Parts: sequence; C-alpha cells; structure tokens
Amino acid sequence: MSRSGRRRAELQESLGIALSALGSHRLRTALTALGIVIGVATVIAIVAIVQGLDRSFESQIQGLGAQTLYVSRYRWMDVSGDWWKYRNRRPVGEREYRAIVRESRVAAAVSPVVSVSAAVASGERSVSRAQTSGVGADYLAASGGALAAGRFLVGSDLEVTSRSTVLGADVADRLFPGASPEAVLGRRVLVAGHPFSVVGVMERRGHLLGLALDNNLFVPYTTFGQLFGSWRPMFLAVAAPPGRLLDLDDELTGILRRARQVPPGRPDDFVLNRQEQFLRVYRGLTRALYGVAVSVGLVTLLVGGIGIMNVMLVSVRERTQEIGLRRALGARRSTILWQFVVEALAVALGGGALGTALGLAIAEGLSLYTPLAAVAEPSAVALGLGFSALTGLVFGSWPAWRAARLDPVEALRYE
Amino acid sequence: MNAPPLLSLADVARHYQVGSERVRALDGVSFEVDRGSWVAVVGQSGSGKSTLMNILGCLDTPTAGTYRIGGRDVRGLADDALADLRNREIGFVFQTFHLLPRSSALANVELPLVYRGVPRRERRERAEAALRSVGLADRMRHRPNELSGGQRQRVAIARALVGDPSLVLADEPTGNLDSATGEEIFHLLGALHARGHTILLVTHEPRLASRCPRAIRLMDGRVVADGPGREVAQLGVPAVTP
Repeated sequence: MSRSGRRRAELQESLGIALSALGSHRLRTALTALGIVIGVATVIAIVAIVQGLDRSFESQIQGLGAQTLYVSRYRWMDVSGDWWKYRNRRPVGEREYRAIVRESRVAAAVSPVVSVSAAVASGERSVSRAQTSGVGADYLAASGGALAAGRFLVGSDLEVTSRSTVLGADVADRLFPGASPEAVLGRRVLVAGHPFSVVGVMERRGHLLGLALDNNLFVPYTTFGQLFGSWRPMFLAVAAPPGRLLDLDDELTGILRRARQVPPGRPDDFVLNRQEQFLRVYRGLTRALYGVAVSVGLVTLLVGGIGIMNVMLVSVRERTQEIGLRRALGARRSTILWQFVVEALAVALGGGALGTALGLAIAEGLSLYTPLAAVAEPSAVALGLGFSALTGLVFGSWPAWRAARLDPVEALRYE
Repeated sequence: MNAPPLLSLADVARHYQVGSERVRALDGVSFEVDRGSWVAVVGQSGSGKSTLMNILGCLDTPTAGTYRIGGRDVRGLADDALADLRNREIGFVFQTFHLLPRSSALANVELPLVYRGVPRRERRERAEAALRSVGLADRMRHRPNELSGGQRQRVAIARALVGDPSLVLADEPTGNLDSATGEEIFHLLGALHARGHTILLVTHEPRLASRCPRAIRLMDGRVVADGPGREVAQLGVPAVTP
C-alpha cells in the first residue's frame, strides 16, 4: 500500500478507463484523432521530403569536391546584387594559374576551367548545346570526377594543343547511341565545327539542382584558347590535401594578392569559392520550406487540439456522476485529473502514431513513384509523437482540471 | 463502555448561502453512533437527511460544530485527506447503485482498493470474497446491464464492504427496487449488522426504520427523535428527546 503502489494502480486504472471510454465512442474518438493524424502526417511527410532533398543534394554536391577551392572573380550563389563589383574586376586567367602552380606548396592539384556552350556533332547526330570546358591535365584530381573508359587529357595534349577530347556520359550516349564507352574511343567528333578525337569517356554523375552534369566534354584549355579565344573568364580549381583546406585558403590568398598586385589594406579582388556555399544557400531554402511545413502542421495540430478539448469537455460532462462516485470511493482530485489527462493523451498519441505511420507511408510512396527521395529519420518519428503528446497534454489539461474540481456531492446528484 | 463512539456529532450545522438567503440544512445536530450498531436516519425530503449523509460520509464538512469519525475531527482536513478518509472508513451504498456500466461486477467492486493502492492479485481476491458474501459468486464477470436491480445493489454493497470500512452508509438503498427485492436488500444489511458491521441507513420509509434497533428522526435540520426504531418510526408528532 505504498504511495508508488497506489500511483501505479491508479495509472493502470486510468489507462483502462481511458481505453474503455474511448472504445465505447469509437466514431467520436476517431474523428477527434483525425485532426492530429492529418497534422502529424503533414509534418512527417514534408520533413521526410526535405530531408531526402537535403540528402540527395549533399551527395550530388560531393561531385564538386569538398576539398576544392574555386578561384574566381565572382562569388558563387551571391544574391546581394553586387554583380557590377565583380564584373569590373580583372578576370582570373593564365597568370594566376601559373602563379599557383609555381608558388603553392599546399595545393594537391590545380586546373584552369573555362567553358562555352558549343554544338558537338558526329555524322548525322549532334548535341546542340554541350558545355565545352577547357581544362588542365590535373582537372580530375582538382575538381573530382572519374573516367568510364580511355584516358583523361595529359600534359602533352596541353603542350601541343592537341585536338583530343573527353566526352561526358550524356554527350557520348547521344552521339553514339548504344555504343559502350570503350567503343567510342578513337571516334572523331566536331566541336563547334572543329574536328576532335575522343580519348576518354567520363562516368555518369547525374543531376545537380536539375542541371545535367553529364552534358559536357573536356578539351585542353590551351586548344580551347586557340579556338574560342583566350579572353574568356576562367576559374581555377585548386584541391587541398585532406584536412588542409584552410591552409590552402591562406596560401592562395597570399599568392593571388601578389599575382594580382592588390595593394595592402585593399580587399581581395577575387573569391575562393567552396562547395559548401551551395550547401548554405540550399539549406536556407529548405529551412524556409521547413518553416512553412511546420507552421501548417502546428496549425492543424492546434485545430486537432481544440477538437480534443471539446470532446474531453463533453466526456467530463457525460461522466460527471462517475466522477462523483470515484471521488466518494476515495479518488483524490489528482487521480481524476490524471484519468482525463491520460484519456486525452491516449487520443492524441493514437492519432500521432497513426499520423506518423501515414506520413512515413506518404514519404515512402513519393520516393518510390516520384524522383523525390524522401528520407524518414527516427527523429521525425520522435517529433511526430512528441508533438501529438504535447497537444494532448496541453488541450486535455483544462477539461481534466474541471473534472478534478467538481464537488463530489453535486457530481453524484448530477443528472 | 469506555470505547469511544465511532461517530460523534456535536452541534453540527451546515448552512448554505443561496442568494441573500441563508439556508440552514442542518442546524445543531448532535448524536453518537457506537461501533457495531444499526441506525436508521428518517425524515421527509428537505429534512436535512441528504446533507447529514454527505457530512457523515465526509463528502462535505460542517460549517459549524464538530464531527468526529473514529475519534478524528474532520474539520480543516484537506481535500486529499478527506478522500483517503472516505476510502478507508466509509462504504457507500446509493439509491441508484452508481455502478460503472462498462466494468464487470468484479472490476466495480475492486475500485475502492485501486484508490488504496492494493496490488492487483489481492484486489481480485478481496473483491471475489466480497461478491461471494453477498451471494453473487456466479455473477462476477457480468456487467451491470446484465444484472437485475437487486443484483446490482448487491454488487454495490459488495463494493461498500470490500475495503473493510468502519461504517456502511446506505442512502435509500431500496428506493429503486420493488418491495420484494427491497426486502431482500434490507435483510442483507441486517445480516451485515449481525456480522458486526456498523450500518447507517438513510430512508424515508418508516416501515424500514421501525425494524432497525435505533432510529433518528430529522425535521428542518434538527434531530426531533432518537430512540428505538419502532418508537421513532411510529411517532406521528415530533417529540424532542433529551
């Protein structure tokens, strides 16, 4: 007959009462829980979708190389409207490239990158707008990517401005449909009318933010300068050894300020871009989406909570005599309070569990039948159950408190 | 007899404020009840019977005077303490039975023990024993709507007995029953008294009160007669006893 024994017995009794009370009004219980179900399902599904987007974006952006700095006069993903400031800067070019190759002790690999959109053709077939990039021999090491067949451009290609090219997977497929990457090697293609010989084919990389990453081809940047003009703004991909990205950043800043003769005290007139800038902007977008989703879910939960409160008030009134009886038999106010809080919690948690399952099912369905890769994290389940429990607690408390405050004498007499 | 009385009321009053008017539902009631006795409280509606029952059952407290149960003054007790007092000392039997409709007879009888924190198995055993003692050994798993009125009241009596209270407080226990069944329930209460239980029977029927060893008659919130049941019940006119 200890205190804890009494608590446990009362709690078991409360749970039994709650389930039997809810069970005897199945339709009412189901309708009450529906608000919670919808609210939780909405939140869970949207959170899973956003997490899935995050996940796939992050895996895609790995292709840009987490250990790579991209030297450019522009800041990536800059939405501040400072375009003119960047536009008037001196372009990054051969001189900066040479300076880095000559002076950097930290850099693991350096490659210039300069691009145009060009038509590529082979016989009858053509790709009208393929991203044609002039790069150095260390491009793969500097910026990431892998070969499916053949070789990448080498030093001699650059020295002799050879007409060698490495095709992206999409370009190879569209010019030589059905051919294996190996079968494409040695074939001739016309890049903006200039004949090139295929020496390699890239592995498929997929999409990034809806952009096809495989609709491209690489040529020596020296050849690129001859054919398309060496005035085009380039950027430099510089890879750091593992864990030395910050060292590289420091070193490059010094090298580039000297090479570009930036007077001391003046700000840099170049930018060392990183892939995480993409991530930051992207996360900002998804955070806004999160916010909207969670607000919608909270409003739905609020409505569901008011529904719970309403039904609990009805339940308390219907069971006034029962409350009086329980008080006569020795139930304390706190016991009655708990009984109704447990009932509200049971409705809310039941709805929350159902809503969580529904939300996960929606997420699963989306990732099966749409390109969205929804990911259900355990934290989403905890979130759904936590929020529904909180709703039950908040909106069940007032009816429960009213039940607990009933005068036993009047409650027993209540008709 | 040196043993203190189980119940002792000294000048108990219960006043209600209804608007600007003061209603004296009980107005200076004094009497004592010894352990093991069987007392009827009679009076017409409005006589203060219900108010007296509420106070005796610790559902309500006097506005003036002293009520002691088992020597303990209920005045100033907190709500929780009153609930515990009801749980241990009082077994209620109501006119309308007040059984939980969705629970079995057994679960209904177990209820007071739940609020006392008695472990499940012991609860079950004691509830079964109580149901057997009122002759319902074969009806334990039935729900109230599967039982007759008399059987329901027996379940309620078993519930009143299961916690082994000092006092069984029966409020018009035969009021909702036909006369034969009412007689049955009255006999059951008599049997409980014979087994040593203290029974307080609130009734408006002089016929029942006349068969109790002692009866107290209330009128307008005051005790107007207190004596052997046969005499008090037959009193046509109020006679104040010393």
